[in-house]
Amino acid sequence: MRTPRPSARIGAGLAMMAVLAGCSAPGTELVASSGAGPDPAPVAEGTLVYGHQQEPPCVYGGWIEQGYLSHQVLDGLVSLDEDGHVVPWLATDWHESADHLTWTFTLQEGPTFSDGTPVDAQAIVDNIDYWLAGGNGTAQVWIGPYVDSARALDATTVEVALSQPYPRFAENLTQPYFGLQSPAALAERTAEENCRQPIGSGPFTVTEWNRGQNIVLDRRDDYDWAPANAAVQGPARVARVDWRFITDPTARTAALRSGEVHAIYDIQAFEWSALESEGYELHRYITPGRPQQLSFNTGRGPFADERVRQAFAYSLDRESVVEAVGRGVIPYEGNGPVSRSTPAYSEEAAARYSYDPERARELLDAAGWSEVGEDGVRVKDGERLHIDFPYAINSTINQDGAAIIQGLQQYAEEVGFEVELIPYPPSAAAAGAYSGPEDYDVSIGYWTSVNAGILLVNWRQNLPESPNPSNAAFYNDPALEATIREANSAVDPDEQDALYRQAQEHIADHALSIGVYDRLSTLAVGPHVDGLRQENSQGGPVFHDAHLVD
Amino acid sequence: MTTPPLIPTRTAPPTGAPGSLVPPSSTPVPGAEATLAPQAGAPRRPRRRPPLGPLAATATLAVFALAAVAPGLLAPGSPEALDLGATLQAPSAAHWFGTDELGRDLYTRVVHGTGLSLLIGLGAAAVSLTLAVLLAAASALTGRILSGVADRTIEILFAFPTLLLALLLIATLGPSPLSLVLAVGVGTAPGYARIVRGQLLTVRTSGYVEAATALGHGRRRIIGRHILPNALRPLVGIFTMSIGQSIVWASSLAFLGLGVAPPSPEWGALLDAGRTYLTAAGWLVIIPGLVIALLALAATTLGTSIRNRLETGD
Repeated sequence: MRTPRPSARIGAGLAMMAVLAGCSAPGTELVASSGAGPDPAPVAEGTLVYGHQQEPPCVYGGWIEQGYLSHQVLDGLVSLDEDGHVVPWLATDWHESADHLTWTFTLQEGPTFSDGTPVDAQAIVDNIDYWLAGGNGTAQVWIGPYVDSARALDATTVEVALSQPYPRFAENLTQPYFGLQSPAALAERTAEENCRQPIGSGPFTVTEWNRGQNIVLDRRDDYDWAPANAAVQGPARVARVDWRFITDPTARTAALRSGEVHAIYDIQAFEWSALESEGYELHRYITPGRPQQLSFNTGRGPFADERVRQAFAYSLDRESVVEAVGRGVIPYEGNGPVSRSTPAYSEEAAARYSYDPERARELLDAAGWSEVGEDGVRVKDGERLHIDFPYAINSTINQDGAAIIQGLQQYAEEVGFEVELIPYPPSAAAAGAYSGPEDYDVSIGYWTSVNAGILLVNWRQNLPESPNPSNAAFYNDPALEATIREANSAVDPDEQDALYRQAQEHIADHALSIGVYDRLSTLAVGPHVDGLRQENSQGGPVFHDAHLVD
Repeated sequence: MTTPPLIPTRTAPPTGAPGSLVPPSSTPVPGAEATLAPQAGAPRRPRRRPPLGPLAATATLAVFALAAVAPGLLAPGSPEALDLGATLQAPSAAHWFGTDELGRDLYTRVVHGTGLSLLIGLGAAAVSLTLAVLLAAASALTGRILSGVADRTIEILFAFPTLLLALLLIATLGPSPLSLVLAVGVGTAPGYARIVRGQLLTVRTSGYVEAATALGHGRRRIIGRHILPNALRPLVGIFTMSIGQSIVWASSLAFLGLGVAPPSPEWGALLDAGRTYLTAAGWLVIIPGLVIALLALAATTLGTSIRNRLETGD
């Protein structure tokens, strides 16, 4: 069991952090609090109303927005505390074998799924098999390359056999994608039923889903197996959570101010200081893993040429644009592969490609894009330097992100790129639009994770015999993949970090991906809620600990 | 719009021409000028005051036209120029309409967005009225089968709310200026089709058409020389009005994120982008909204005036 959490996780270098007081859990901050007076009296019952910005297709799934929701309903084997240590949840203990190829988990006795079946060793084995079979795509890409099999040694002991050492296995299991479901429910119910109302052992159950409006989560009164880092043990302190979907950020903030909801997610940067001065409790979590970054399509088009990719990177004053739109809330992120809150973050990779338009022009000239048309767009062999830049608005890109993208477009056009922005709606994003090799020249997006193991997810080669749709740069490099695999299996922490940094610097040197800004999970909490916190592995809200106050 | 207009008196062939259909009562006769001339001592007809509304509307539209054709004359800067040190600035002497989240000057963006906004309005109005005329003509002037098909088509299209029909088309075609033109054009066509159909039926059953029929004129000649010119002339006014309405519809769709891609300064796109900052920078929504309202008002005022003049001769 090892979970080093480097100080980089804290989000060093942010101006906000220098001026805002609050708790300093890794990646997460409580940056303002309305609790100036005596502690308000807790209310034992009641409905906590929460406004979230988007509605996932299923309660449970491989997208972080699903993870935030399913975390209320599905428990995990282990949890991550605010110092980045893996702590017990349904598993009370775990250990690696000497050869690092076998992990053994010991379960606590007593927990049950909400259908009454026990959370025993066989249930864990069934869930691992379900993940490996693709029941959750994100869980599969994390453990698929490493887990060979799992078996129940007895009712409370599970043994997992690995094909290669995977020292961060337990840490990865803290992510909400590894929420456990009742095997009976998975076997007997339809996929639609499990999508709408998954059966877990969590503190809440899904009572009702009014599509387009809200999901109602009701407390399990017999819940008594909260993670070790929970503020309270026993059942949740609110009887019900009304999880509303309020897509429009202005409406969401207005709902908070009017008292219609108790707390909201995803605060616009320009509203941050206003809400702070109005006394709302603000939480900010810098998600580890891949930040909001640009992935260049290296398989075809202008960005197949490394010099053109580098020129694009040099042409952008990313830091100024992010600072202007982010207003000190959204951090600039120069590192494309991983965010500043990720262990083994490379400052060197982050420092590449500072704004240098002259260097960009030189690179474009050298790449043959030396002719400049009357409209300022560069031309080569009669072809314009046209860049298709799609992005999933109101899905993976919020309104602040959309403004940042427009700013980047202007900078790129200054040196002769013609950038066509193609915003597409959440419905298209859910259908997999703009994800193929012919669909874009550059894309933007994040992929949350708990450590730099995300590099394998994003940079594993995309080969016919082993496709990798997450390789957004369409970049196949056996050497890069070998470095990342070596890092994932390195049992020496220093060696592992060095290898992860080496991979990041390779990606930066070849301008395969460049960072733009760190993805945030933010919460604004009104005065009638206490104890609402953010989960430490991915930043979702934790309603088990929250309670209403007068 | 269903009142029989006086148009036939103005478009009929000259009196005495073969096949003249002009009703006798309105036929100018030699000496008529003398009988209509003011008599000595008779009270003079008061001089009409210039119509201020249409004049103001024309002047307003002229300014918009100038902005569309030569935006650089009114706002020399680039509508996409960033000023990251001056984001979300309220209207001031330096920035008449304020700035947006990237420090772009909203006045410059509104002026430079006029061309595309007007083009969408004109295009949508043209599509709408063309479709309306075709459907109405098929309904009113063809045989039973084709007429029935056209009638049902109008009714089916009419059953869809305008916005829903437009959304359906944009979902199918994907968001773009052309989609916007087609969506608004098709979405608003059924309403106009009913107006035009009523107009065609009125003219078709008029006395001069019956006379032409009785005189043995061919069907094509009657439709081409008598029915269409008389029935469609009022559409000049309707077309002008529909430009303003189309811009409002197009802006509504753009406001829903189904319009022109950023960073276009098309007015609906400006509204859509501005609503995010409504609480801190209301001018980003209010000013483009007022501009859209002003253009729609001017176009509607002028259109109403034209229609009235065509119908009443005032």
